[in-house]
Amino acid sequence: MLYWIYLIRNLTRNIRRTLLTSAAVALPIVIFVLSTSVISALNSYLDNAAKQMRLIVTHKTSFINPLPSGYRYKIEALDPERKELTAVCGMHWLGGKVENDPRLLSTLAVDKDNLEACYPDYHFTQEEMDAWHRDRQAAILGPETAKQFGWKLGDRITITPSLPPYTPMEFHVISTAEHASDPVTSWIRLDYYFDALKEHGFHGDEWIGFFVIKCNSIAGLDHYRRAIDELFANYPDPTKTRDEKSFVNEFIAQQFNLPRNLAILASLTVFVAIMAAMNTMSMNIRDRINEVATMKSLGFSSRSVFVQILIESMMLCVSGGFVGALIPYGLFHWTPLGSMTIPVIQALDIPLLVCMKAVLIAVGIGILSALWPAWLGAKLNVVTALRYLE
Amino acid sequence: MFIGELQRYVTRLQNPNNVSFLIQKVCPMSLANISVHQVVKNYHKDRIEIPVLNGLDLTIPAGQFSVLMGPSGSGKSTLLHLIGGLDRPTSGTIQVGDFNLDRMSDSELTRWRSRHVGFIFQMYHLIPVLTAAENVELPLLLFSMSSHERKQRVATALQVVGLTDRMDHRPNQLSGGQEQRVAIARAIVTDPDVILADEPTGDLDAKTSEEILNLLNILNKEFGKTILLVTHDPRAAAHGQRILHLDKGILSQEKEAVCVT
Repeated sequence: MLYWIYLIRNLTRNIRRTLLTSAAVALPIVIFVLSTSVISALNSYLDNAAKQMRLIVTHKTSFINPLPSGYRYKIEALDPERKELTAVCGMHWLGGKVENDPRLLSTLAVDKDNLEACYPDYHFTQEEMDAWHRDRQAAILGPETAKQFGWKLGDRITITPSLPPYTPMEFHVISTAEHASDPVTSWIRLDYYFDALKEHGFHGDEWIGFFVIKCNSIAGLDHYRRAIDELFANYPDPTKTRDEKSFVNEFIAQQFNLPRNLAILASLTVFVAIMAAMNTMSMNIRDRINEVATMKSLGFSSRSVFVQILIESMMLCVSGGFVGALIPYGLFHWTPLGSMTIPVIQALDIPLLVCMKAVLIAVGIGILSALWPAWLGAKLNVVTALRYLE
Repeated sequence: MFIGELQRYVTRLQNPNNVSFLIQKVCPMSLANISVHQVVKNYHKDRIEIPVLNGLDLTIPAGQFSVLMGPSGSGKSTLLHLIGGLDRPTSGTIQVGDFNLDRMSDSELTRWRSRHVGFIFQMYHLIPVLTAAENVELPLLLFSMSSHERKQRVATALQVVGLTDRMDHRPNQLSGGQEQRVAIARAIVTDPDVILADEPTGDLDAKTSEEILNLLNILNKEFGKTILLVTHDPRAAAHGQRILHLDKGILSQEKEAVCVT
């Protein structure tokens, strides 16, 4: 017990230094937890995307350039018997906002016929699909979007698209896609959107944002990825086809290669925390050379001195790590920040596992930062230390 | 045995009519003769070899209160550290009781030190974040004993040095003399054979010094502890049974002190 009392009091002998060091560990841990959570969310999304064997066809120049709507039939013609190429679904990004609400929506207008075939992983019910086909104003909401805006099944909602016709459009909520891998994006019918364009004098129905193609096998995925691009290679609007995971990865990479940069950031912050903790522990031990020398003169072995400094450093860093993990966890679980959406990742979840990993990293920081001062303490020559002090 | 003796001693201390026993000499109980044979100690600084002790021979019988005097740099503290196993001689042998220190490994020496030697330093070297009682308890963590037994030993050791009312005070709440008493309690709590005191009164006023030296006398006479005291102060030296003079690494003079009885 006395041993632990001694360790704890060592931490409280210079409160300011302890607090600053704890903060120096806590802040990088906050960044680590947030970055890792973002990476984890992305990976989870990408892993699911890879499993679904979907191809995304965009314009070769950039995915913001539209493709001719007629490409759909040419693509379908590549496998008229639907052996490998199950379905082709055209999509058009609309974005959108609700009146007097600054939050940007992620809304896609999609071909009504092939949505279910392209997204079997969403497990739509027959009732939902019937409503989807029956109602031109049907909207399938991302579950997080529905939660954030308080929308529920049967609600009539009004969204103003971020693209032409820029006028409020009314939709009927027919599903809140409980099994959606992308919990924020909502879907409306492309035919209803095109009608709205025509109604307001726009001619946009001959163009489409991109196509989603569902394949039956990995081999089919690979075959049609090449075949589609070859088919349109000499057209005025050549295509670029890749699997869904590569597409999302590419999209993210264009947004400053987020995962790689976050991973670098997380590593750097951990490194900074190690440096800060090592500096503090070194100063701490230097201030207490006489104590280390006294302990050794009393008969405490070099090993016990080493372990004592190591445990002390671990306690210091774990306290910082715990606070650092608790802050983002608390903020994203117990405050309105939890409903904040982030582009691509949508709703950021702070997994408990990441927090636990962060605390373990703090333990690692504690050990790494104390190795050098602990070794110095263990190797301290008692006679030299006592002579120096007296 | 030590605890029993201490408790009997403390009981007598608490009776004002028994003050006279303070100067009563009893048979030594310690078994640790100290034998230093042909000890040479050189230090190295910037590749220059600095001789400190040159073939020193010394025998201190068990239970003797010896005082080591000499000018600064004469090797007093070095000899004390060698006898206490904090340092190793360049050559020569040191025997304390049954233990030949130069044949022991570092870990054996550390373990031996915790059980057989009590150090008292000029600057006390108490742990500032621990209370007086916790400071005294610290060396007992190296022994396998119950918390109750540790507390009992700590209480007794603090009673011997007259600081039971300061048990829960931290070093910064104590005077220099009280701090040194705590350091003495810490030195005796493990019941060592040998107490090595390196200028324990060097930082204290005359009155407090006298109290500390009296305490050392009691430890020597009542409990037979072998004590080696390093000091510059002739008045402190007068408390020892034997005064050794060390100059330039050579034990140049020895004389028996007048034993006050």
